[in-house]
Amino acid sequence: MSDLTTTAPRRKDTPLRRLARQFLEDRIAVAALAVFLAVALFTLLGPFIVPQNPYDLAQLDFMDGGLPPGSQSFSGMTYWLGTDTQGRDMLSAIAYGLRISLAVSFTSLILALIIGVAAGLAAAYFGGRIDTLIMRVVDIQLSFPSILIALILLALFGRGIDKVILAIVIVQWADFARTVRSSAIVERRKEYIEAAHCLGLSRQRTMFRHLLPNSLPPLIVLATVKIASAISLEATLSFLGAGVPITQPSLGLLIANGYDFLLSGRYWIAIFPGVALLITIVAINLVGDRLRDVLNPRLQK
Amino acid sequence: MNRLYLTAAVAALALGTQAQAESLAIALKTEPNSIDPHFNYSAVNIAPLSNIYDPLVESDAVKKPIPALATSWTALDDLRWEIKLRQGVTFHDGSPLTPRDVVYSWCRAPLIENSPSSYATFVNKMASIEIVDDSTLIFTTKEPNPLMWSDLSQIFIISAAKMGAEETVTFGAEGCTGMGEVPQSAVFSDLGYAMGTGPYKVTEFNRGEALRLEAYDGFWGDKPDYDDVTIRTISSDGPRVAALLAGDVQLIESPPIQDIERIKGEGFKTTETKSARVIYLQLRQDMTETPPMMEAEGNPLHDQRVRQAISYAINRQGIVDRIMGGYAEAAGELLAPPMFGTTGRAVDPYDPEKAKALLAEAGYGDGFKVTLGAPNDRYVNDERVAQAIAQMLTQVGITTDVDATTASQFFSRRNKLDFGMFMAGWGSSSGDTSSPLNAMVATANKDIGAGGWNYGRYSNPVVDEKIAKALVTVDDAEREKLLQEAETIALDEFGILPLHYELTVWAMAPEVHYEPRSDQRTAAYLVEKAE
Repeated sequence: MSDLTTTAPRRKDTPLRRLARQFLEDRIAVAALAVFLAVALFTLLGPFIVPQNPYDLAQLDFMDGGLPPGSQSFSGMTYWLGTDTQGRDMLSAIAYGLRISLAVSFTSLILALIIGVAAGLAAAYFGGRIDTLIMRVVDIQLSFPSILIALILLALFGRGIDKVILAIVIVQWADFARTVRSSAIVERRKEYIEAAHCLGLSRQRTMFRHLLPNSLPPLIVLATVKIASAISLEATLSFLGAGVPITQPSLGLLIANGYDFLLSGRYWIAIFPGVALLITIVAINLVGDRLRDVLNPRLQK
Repeated sequence: MNRLYLTAAVAALALGTQAQAESLAIALKTEPNSIDPHFNYSAVNIAPLSNIYDPLVESDAVKKPIPALATSWTALDDLRWEIKLRQGVTFHDGSPLTPRDVVYSWCRAPLIENSPSSYATFVNKMASIEIVDDSTLIFTTKEPNPLMWSDLSQIFIISAAKMGAEETVTFGAEGCTGMGEVPQSAVFSDLGYAMGTGPYKVTEFNRGEALRLEAYDGFWGDKPDYDDVTIRTISSDGPRVAALLAGDVQLIESPPIQDIERIKGEGFKTTETKSARVIYLQLRQDMTETPPMMEAEGNPLHDQRVRQAISYAINRQGIVDRIMGGYAEAAGELLAPPMFGTTGRAVDPYDPEKAKALLAEAGYGDGFKVTLGAPNDRYVNDERVAQAIAQMLTQVGITTDVDATTASQFFSRRNKLDFGMFMAGWGSSSGDTSSPLNAMVATANKDIGAGGWNYGRYSNPVVDEKIAKALVTVDDAEREKLLQEAETIALDEFGILPLHYELTVWAMAPEVHYEPRSDQRTAAYLVEKAE
């Protein structure tokens, strides 16, 4: 612990800082993180830099539909990645589509995380019947393939962004609950929890201020993996026509639209959104892999 | 069984394609929702079922009548028709066709519960059906019926005995007697009930998978070219083409227009014909409060100027050129001219400025919001056409969203009047404008079988009178004049907005020949081996 000699007490080596340092040691992970940040930036700033709002039907002209990459519109705008059949500029459509994909997956991830963590902590902390009840629900849920559950839910609810989010939350909370519970059970038996009890701290305080932070590492890894799977789940649902409305395509729906044209040689309608989806998911997964390595004590030097 | 197929397939591979020639696989775009021939009056069901069942009269590729189970149909006077039944016809179980089966079938058709699209329209025109002798029936219509052959071609004939009818079945003024317990469509899950007199019998029907047919040896007409037929449904365009190119199927209907060049390039054939089908918009216009799936003050569609604005906002030629790839024709009428009853009415002009002006004049200068309903697997490029219309309407200020779902969902919602505005298509079964006019323009009235598909609820007594008169006028010139007048009034009041006439395309393997049909039917018995 070199910190003892070099740093002032205020700047001690927190677990988070140690994590960041170790993470940065891997070049691929850093590159992946950079790519992901670039994608995130692109989706945040997208509406200000792309030439068209593909969700505003008044800005589209189907007479410009199906143009190959690099074509010019009637008004002189260049379609760098071509257009789909409705005359959507593919670059703009990808920017907006990514926005929907990321917004849907992050929102649903956070909601699933909150529900999962609360349920998992409660199960670990209280044990007994509450534990059994929550964990059996989790077991039942995990025994069904997630795409199946999501499709059934959407068939019941109908299409819509809010409904996709709800479906993903319902599919994903169980994983979080299970992970948090297992690491919290280990932590619960440690002395500092007993100490907290002896000090007469409230249950909530013990659970959220003491138990939770120490159960976090596996959760962080799981969350990065799950964000990637939420993105692909959303894309799958939209591709199958059960997700977002057709006038507001996400990446999955853009790919589905282009799928019909692959045979006829208009590759750009499906390929470019596909590549965008691929890059995003691979980047997130690489970051997640590195985080897992860093946080796994067995792999520590 | 599987091993048998496998062996056969290996043998076929070894011998080249020759050995497979007896079996045929077809891919349709939309799946039939029942094999009960009286369940759903829709081309989707009629096309595959025409392999199994026969009506009294059949229509050929260009909508001309040809004898089927009836060898002749002769008018005895204004109302009475003598039908001569074909002799020596047997059902698939070998039992002979009798006049009782005809009466039973006509009686059963309107009794089907939960029918998404009922055959009652045709049956209700009849006052009575009498059995004269073993080969003769007299149909008496309520009104003179110039298109009797077309009505006779609508009802498929099934076996009265199989359905559990009594010995004597009658169809009189008081309705039908001797029907026994009428089996509903659900019993057809037992394939034994799916028994007709047609060229093929059903061997398997799994929804979502395939309808398998086997040639019926005792068929009364020419034996079809192929013995074993599999009719699959592949609703996605790309996979349907891929199935053809890969040799999984030999014939597909409506290949996506963008792929036609590719299909021809790989040595496959396509045929096409102008269809009797018009794609149209219906606008809910009877009510003054806001219709479903619309956000506006009152009902803008009640105002003729708004309906005109919508029509003028649509670039029909643009849709034909860009979305339909030229495989359609911009429509100004409910049936492509020069068919019977058309006037050559000009296509409504594309004039967005005029449309905006009309909206402002009607008090909707700030526009309104509407959701356009459409099917996404029924008509050629339907979902894309709907999106293009949404674009154009949005551009004149009517913010339009698209709700496109599969045909079965879409039609059942439409039939419940769930849409304020929707896009659908109508193929004229009679080959003249009386069919679309009576179905979609005449005021909805179940009792007289009018306006059965008038989900826009357009209503004009003058038009109703002309249509009703046309339906019972035998003199062709007089009838055509009435139809033309009725159509012109309704279209000039923008009661319904025609968009385009579909061109129907088929793509097939080189060893197969299919004569294009104006009714868009894809049926196995019509598939021939290429010369």
